[in-house]
Amino acid sequence: MSQVNRLATGGRIDRSKPMSFSFNGKTFQGFDGDTLASALLANGVGIVGRSFKYSRARGILGHGAEEPNALMQLHTGNAAVPNPRATQVELFDGLVSGSTNGWPSAEFDLMEWVGKIGGKFMPVGFYYKTFMAPQKMWMTYEKFIRKAAGFGKLSLEPDPDTYDKINAHCDVMVVGAGPAGLTAALEAGRSGKRVIIVDEQNEFGGTLLANNQTVDGVDAATWAEQATAQLEAMSNVLVMPRTTAFGYYDHNFVCALESRTDHIGPVSASGSRQRLHRIRAHQVILATGAIERPLVFGNNDLPGIMLANSVSTYINRYAVVPGNRCVIMTTNDSGYQTALDIQAAGRTVVAVVDSRHAPDGRLVQQAKAAGIEIMTGHGVIEAQGSKRVTGAIVAPLDAAGDTLTGPGKTLSCDLVAVAGGWSPVVHLSCHTGSRPVWQEDIAGFVPGPSIQNQHLAGAVTGDYKLSQALNAGVQAGAAAVGVESSHVFDCGDESEGAAQALYLIPHTKPISRAPKQFVDFQNDVTAAGIELAAREGFQSIEHVKRYTAMGFGTDQGKTGNVNGMAIVAKALNKSIAQTGTTIFRPAYTPVTFGALGGRDVGVLLDPARHTAMHPWHLANGAEFENVGQWKRPWYFPQQGETMQQTLNRECLAVRNSVGILDASTLGKIDIQGKDAREFLNRVYTNAWSKLAPGKCRYGLMLKEDGMIFDDGVTACLSDQHFLMTTTSGGAAAVLGWLELWHQTEWPELEVYFTSVTDQWATCSFAGPNSRKVLEKLCTDVDLSAEAMKFMDYREGTVAGIKARIFRISFTGELSFEVNVPADQGHYMWKKLMEAGEEFGITPYGTESMHVLRAEKGFIIAGQDTDGSMTPQDCLMGWAVSKTKSFSFLGERSFTRPDTARADRKQLVGLKPIDPTVVIPEGSQIVMDPNQPIPMDMMGHVTSSYWSECLGHGIAMGTVKSGSDRMGQTVYCPQADGRVLAAQICSPVFYDPKGDHHND
Amino acid sequence: MHHIYCPYCEETREEEEYSYTGEAHIERPKDPAAISDEAWGDYLFFRSNPRGIHHEMWYHAAGCRRYFNVTRNTQSYEIHETYKMGELPTVTAQVPTPAPKAAQQGEAS
Amino acid sequence: MTNSTHNAATDVMESPLHHHVAHTNAVDAGVVMTEDKFRGHLNLRGNPQDADFMAAVASVLGMALPTEPNTSVRVNGFVAYWLCPNEWLLIVASGAQGQVEADLRQAVADKGGNQHIAVTDVSSGQTLVNLSGSGLAQLLQKSTVYDCHESNFPAGKVVQTTFAKTGTTMCKLEDGSVDLVIRRSFSDYFFLWLADASEEYGLRIA
Repeated sequence: MSQVNRLATGGRIDRSKPMSFSFNGKTFQGFDGDTLASALLANGVGIVGRSFKYSRARGILGHGAEEPNALMQLHTGNAAVPNPRATQVELFDGLVSGSTNGWPSAEFDLMEWVGKIGGKFMPVGFYYKTFMAPQKMWMTYEKFIRKAAGFGKLSLEPDPDTYDKINAHCDVMVVGAGPAGLTAALEAGRSGKRVIIVDEQNEFGGTLLANNQTVDGVDAATWAEQATAQLEAMSNVLVMPRTTAFGYYDHNFVCALESRTDHIGPVSASGSRQRLHRIRAHQVILATGAIERPLVFGNNDLPGIMLANSVSTYINRYAVVPGNRCVIMTTNDSGYQTALDIQAAGRTVVAVVDSRHAPDGRLVQQAKAAGIEIMTGHGVIEAQGSKRVTGAIVAPLDAAGDTLTGPGKTLSCDLVAVAGGWSPVVHLSCHTGSRPVWQEDIAGFVPGPSIQNQHLAGAVTGDYKLSQALNAGVQAGAAAVGVESSHVFDCGDESEGAAQALYLIPHTKPISRAPKQFVDFQNDVTAAGIELAAREGFQSIEHVKRYTAMGFGTDQGKTGNVNGMAIVAKALNKSIAQTGTTIFRPAYTPVTFGALGGRDVGVLLDPARHTAMHPWHLANGAEFENVGQWKRPWYFPQQGETMQQTLNRECLAVRNSVGILDASTLGKIDIQGKDAREFLNRVYTNAWSKLAPGKCRYGLMLKEDGMIFDDGVTACLSDQHFLMTTTSGGAAAVLGWLELWHQTEWPELEVYFTSVTDQWATCSFAGPNSRKVLEKLCTDVDLSAEAMKFMDYREGTVAGIKARIFRISFTGELSFEVNVPADQGHYMWKKLMEAGEEFGITPYGTESMHVLRAEKGFIIAGQDTDGSMTPQDCLMGWAVSKTKSFSFLGERSFTRPDTARADRKQLVGLKPIDPTVVIPEGSQIVMDPNQPIPMDMMGHVTSSYWSECLGHGIAMGTVKSGSDRMGQTVYCPQADGRVLAAQICSPVFYDPKGDHHND
Repeated sequence: MHHIYCPYCEETREEEEYSYTGEAHIERPKDPAAISDEAWGDYLFFRSNPRGIHHEMWYHAAGCRRYFNVTRNTQSYEIHETYKMGELPTVTAQVPTPAPKAAQQGEAS
Repeated sequence: MTNSTHNAATDVMESPLHHHVAHTNAVDAGVVMTEDKFRGHLNLRGNPQDADFMAAVASVLGMALPTEPNTSVRVNGFVAYWLCPNEWLLIVASGAQGQVEADLRQAVADKGGNQHIAVTDVSSGQTLVNLSGSGLAQLLQKSTVYDCHESNFPAGKVVQTTFAKTGTTMCKLEDGSVDLVIRRSFSDYFFLWLADASEEYGLRIA
């Protein structure tokens, strides 16, 4: 198929590099330098998709980020990309594209008939009104809505591309490389400071690439090339094309998405496809430009109705004229430029329809001189056609543009270029909380005051002259680096006539009965819908937005918002300044989840922390459990074992001989200083003043509300030196907690804390034979029961390595912990395994550890407690000192009425009535399972296991007044209808007298 | 993303290095046993939640592990000053339009 | 324990990154990683306003502790990093940490012994990694939120900050390379990250 709309000469495309691409299954040709949109228009493709709600045929409206209609489905298979705008997709050879919707095709769409028939019955708020009730039907409705609505489709396969993120810092960040951005970056760059300039397009220059003005006598596009080359030559300036600054956050933090290989092929051959730049800038210059506004009139969404400036851009930059006979509808002088461009391209300008009664700017004069038909004081009130515009009904307007003053007539055409004025791109300035301000003279919102170190330059300020943009850029660049500049550019672009503030062109029928007059093309919001919202009582612009969906989604109201706000204001008899605007949020244009994820995917999603013995665990088939970020051996299955069989074997080994556990993950904090004891007295519930060197003590740590926060054993290494252990997941929080109190409340205490969690590898081995194992490796410490008692600590040599030896137990058996520097941890573990071989030493994991400790009724902070359990609730009043002079953290809360309540939930043991049952953890506990739902819930099961050594299931839980309910039967109703009964008992199921660990 | 000056490291660092740890200048009662349940409850649970100037504590978790104070506007997220533990703010809600401490915010580094 | 002497037998000692040395080495590697393993690492706490403490430490190290934030001092194989106003990391020769710790305690005791100090051996809990190469600057940009540009991170500067999703203490060296202190338990994550993030530059383990 030939490129019917391609000009023979001109444009920034390379005709020597033809490119073949497909759209909706048909093959077309374009050139290097084309966007998918310019190539489609070159080939005369009119319909690019169907609208969101009414399924109307839609064509290309704009030429950049503002495009609301031409959302594409790109590539195939796992490389599929949903919803990029055709106007922002660079063409490459072999590109496969299609519409995102339309069934059976965008060209012939059955849903359109639903839209036409249902249009009257799908008013604004349709979904809210229709699908409100019954609520349980929402799932059904949603399926239907999801199928009918929406745009592109994601691949369900893994994304073959990689993405990454980079942190960048600079003195000056320039957003936008149009005329203002370029001069700003040049000026800032000359200072030698670090400058980053980004632009979403493949080439720097913005409007300079598509107009026929001059800058200081040089052709605009050539000037842009020269300026870009100058920037690239500065080593302190980072030049980033194809990079969209999509979010502007607090304290001058800008996020920008760099498209690195999207323009080359569907999948990146090497390196990342996209890169997210996280930029911290001292100064930010927003040179984001302005977007042309469409006008609101009947059937203004027909393919062939485009923004006038976009038509000019297609002609000048891409050598594409998207029509043969063009009507230009304008409210300002810029429409005349498009008329001149069309005429210069050799196509017919049917007429310039100008809502103003006496336009007289320089461009108007030029158009008159060129013999172009001008209809002043007129407006296009309705477009005609079905799949493409075939005519425009034009009627005379009064001076205000409110009222038709005569009958309309039809102009035959296949292109309507609309110039409704300009909207500064205020999006980024809004992201940091700055509210845009309505500026009457330009009929647009401009960025409001900002507390960021922010500068504005160019069209974003509502000043649309080229020379002004260039000069404002110079001033912003100079201000951002703290210098002065007097450079002034000359572009010969003076004397533009005043624009008319016109948004909705009246129709012969009232809004509610006129052909659909679209405001937001992407969300199918019409003037009638907005008026209806106002009639239904929505007065706040924010509410109107949410009710109508105007400005939602990926579009973010780029073309439609101001028109919509004008219609709301008029309906409410207010000014636009009074009704105000909604605030734009990041992202300016959509950002892939891939880029947001960056490299933090797969194994890098969250750090996995490993102990020194991790290689051994891997080699010996451990299954792992996540404990915080740690990977801990969960259990060590042998061939053919079920998990339960493994646990039974591991637990029995500990009870009958010896088992070994890698306890290196326990948090360890080294505490030194003469006030260490006093500090421990204040943060722990129990007393530390008399703990002798060589002794250990279990401590409970509370928050000030009296609730258990963490626990662990602390050893007294010497009089002023302690080693505290914490739970594996709580180490960082505990260290932060100690530092908090030391730094904020008790700085006078002479004590220092240092994390030594990673310094020490800990081998914990337990069981009646554990002493025999240690005795084989350690000869310089008397390990006898008399010499080294339960809760004793010694320094000694184990397997030739200086070690810290603790006789402590979390299993209820005779147990030792050997700590060695982690460099030697793997070696120590292997030595212990060798020494224990004759006793059948059995490595066990966290699951068996949980079973063994639960058999003894030992709690795990964070499993059996949840931040609402006091020591008394956990039957651990024995660990609370009543004689300390200092009111330790949490003590005062014990007497608060709620904490002292008798019917608090208390920790209990639960013995299932059916001994073979293991009650699921989390089960709710009730006294009467036959009571009606909702039942009176008394507590829940916190820990539950099969105990092989006891031969029955065991559980711990919390029950209201549990301590007073010993012997009572409680019930745990299950989701599957079973009711599991259990008897409340002491949580200490095994060796209640503690004979074993005292052996 | 905040950019916060650590008064101990004497540098402005990214928010990722810090964690917020609550309202500043909450003092633990000297003798908890001597105060009423109500007063203890106030100390435990009640915090101001102003719209505007707020004094809060931050922890330089990935940096020097020091706690320090920040005077921050909860509406605009503007940080007016940071100061060490034990020091008092110079910007308070009674002085409503403070000048940002440009030097402390690392502008001219 | 004040003097953990290390047995140098290779099957006894394993550095945090020991099992990654067999990584495929790129020919024109833009990033070169060297683990300076088994160095002695001592965490030192004390009051810099206390002249006796400062003098005692200087007598052992042969240099004054750095008191300017984010600075380091490097003399005769001793390196001292400023960590916070009363905290330093001392990096000493492999195996020397026990003796240095004992010497520090003795020197402080000789000054009267009332100084409030802490010395903690953390040699096994972390390792020193040197990164260099043409891809280093961008690799650091990918990995840390800190501004590692020459103007902000000159030679000798020490910064504690984030590294990917873990933390690090990093020091810029005169040759432009960077020494990173990596916690042992995060070292496998660190290496996975390094291998992934340096893919486009090529990684070599020296």
